[in-house]
Amino acid sequence: MPELTYASIDQTVLNTLTPPKRYYWAIVAVLFLGVLVGAACWAYQIFVGIGAGGQNNPVAWGTYLINFVFWVGIAHSGTLISAILHLFRAGWRNPIARAAETMTVFAVCIAGLFPFIHLGRVWQVMYMIPYPNQRLLWPNFLSPLMFDVIAISTYLTVSSLFWYTGLLPDLAAIRDRAEGTRKKVFTILAMGWTGAHEQWRHYTRGYLFFAALATPLVISVHSVVSWDFALGIVPGWHTTIFAPYFVAGAIHSGLAMVLTLMIPLRKIFSYQKIITQSVLENVAKTIVFTGLIVGFAYATEFFIAWYSHNAVEIEQFRWRATGEYRWGFYFMVVCNTLIPLLFLFKKVRTTIASLFIISLIVNFGMWWERFVIIIGGVARGFSPHAWGLYAPSLIEYGIMLGAFSLFFFLFLLFAKHLPSVSMTEMKETLDHGGSHAG
Amino acid sequence: MQGKKYIMGLFKTEDQVVSTLAALKASVFHFQRVHSPIPSHKIMDALQLKKSKVGWFTLTGGILGLISGFALAVYCSVEWKLIVSGKPIISLIPFFIVGFEFTILFAVFGNVIGLLTQARLPSLKPMEYYDPRCSGEHFGVLATCEPMQQDDLKDFFQQNGGEVKVFD
Repeated sequence: MPELTYASIDQTVLNTLTPPKRYYWAIVAVLFLGVLVGAACWAYQIFVGIGAGGQNNPVAWGTYLINFVFWVGIAHSGTLISAILHLFRAGWRNPIARAAETMTVFAVCIAGLFPFIHLGRVWQVMYMIPYPNQRLLWPNFLSPLMFDVIAISTYLTVSSLFWYTGLLPDLAAIRDRAEGTRKKVFTILAMGWTGAHEQWRHYTRGYLFFAALATPLVISVHSVVSWDFALGIVPGWHTTIFAPYFVAGAIHSGLAMVLTLMIPLRKIFSYQKIITQSVLENVAKTIVFTGLIVGFAYATEFFIAWYSHNAVEIEQFRWRATGEYRWGFYFMVVCNTLIPLLFLFKKVRTTIASLFIISLIVNFGMWWERFVIIIGGVARGFSPHAWGLYAPSLIEYGIMLGAFSLFFFLFLLFAKHLPSVSMTEMKETLDHGGSHAG
Repeated sequence: MQGKKYIMGLFKTEDQVVSTLAALKASVFHFQRVHSPIPSHKIMDALQLKKSKVGWFTLTGGILGLISGFALAVYCSVEWKLIVSGKPIISLIPFFIVGFEFTILFAVFGNVIGLLTQARLPSLKPMEYYDPRCSGEHFGVLATCEPMQQDDLKDFFQQNGGEVKVFD
């Protein structure tokens, strides 16, 4: 990147924090309206009861759990990019790490809402909190649902702290260039960071440990999510492949969301010199890799069903490919595995429009993957008399709209008020091609 | 350090800082600190800094987390003895997951506490002898000297290719 200098990086990023124009607030307002629609639907469900959603026997886990897994999945690429690629010293992750980490924090928050929504009587969440109580009840840590409570809370806490730690030097840079109230706010946020060599000495070490701890965490969190299913004996769920399959799927969808967010951000904020074509190309190549892993997992599930000679499993997978929800299955195979293979062609992965369109297709496909897994298993269980189909209700669509709106609403607020590219790490890229190296 | 003059040399590159630090060591001036917009290994090597102790906080947090996670899961099971799928009340394999998550969580807490205490953050008192350019494109080397050596120190920084800022 010969044209970039420390000053030009600062200038480009700080320019994104100028007071927004009216159309920005118009988009924020529209998204907020979407959030209100979701909140109203949730409030309605709380008053009327969980029956306001389409979940019913035998499909008790509908879009609330699909969206939970979808958003936890989206949350995974942020940590992959900020922690795992940091440990591998992949310098190309620096321009997109901040936005991906932010995406992670928001996505986990939204994912964390869905179990509450799914509870119906949301206040009953107290049953999952281990505290001395007059009922003499304690949570059962043999349950994968309790694993999930611990894993998701840990992930939210760790990813938020990791994100803020990474922001610290940039907050100081903004503080040093701001005036008035803004300066006061950023003085507090920067916590007295001055970039003194003693601060950097501890910071680089701490950052390295953050990355080293976040890496096994990110793998464990989606493994735990997969065990919500795999530890049940439901056909289509009860399989040991679920943990790696879910982790790869999570990173696949997260990377696609990174492209979905980065491409407009790059255009709107004139980040072309920072988020270069080759950065997007590297994300695309990684998507090919994760797409092949999930494709392999899809095929393995069918193979194992056939190889097991288990009639229920065989029926489950026959029905997956030919039953009422077969279109969901074809969406997931085509969108998640076949279409990303187009990135093998240089022309496709170097064209912004195709990168953006394929990223949307992968997001769509990954949502359907969760539909196929979660709904398919329980809809076609052991007993034919208990088979049944499921369709989301309007309330569920409203809540889903609210969740997507909330995600983009928060991201839009972030992009205009905090640095969406790490100035510090970009400067390091110029000099060393690395990042906060420990 | 009363009566000492604080002077900062502002440089554009790490290499200038490294050569200035070497020259400063051999001079009569007293080195105070370096402010930089990025963490620089070259500068840290030149300063011969010891390894940070943050890792000990992280390790302590991790060990406490592992014990706490297992202890919580065991305590809850013993208080509410519900046999699930014929598993023992205290089942180590499922409890390992709780122990693992708590290990990471508490290790991160330890890491943050270590970082804050070692780097002396948050510090809301006014920053002394600091130039805002050091969070942008400059590396600042802060040194002190006797008042009568002020011009010598300014010349020293200028000869090494830096701009000079004198603090009152």
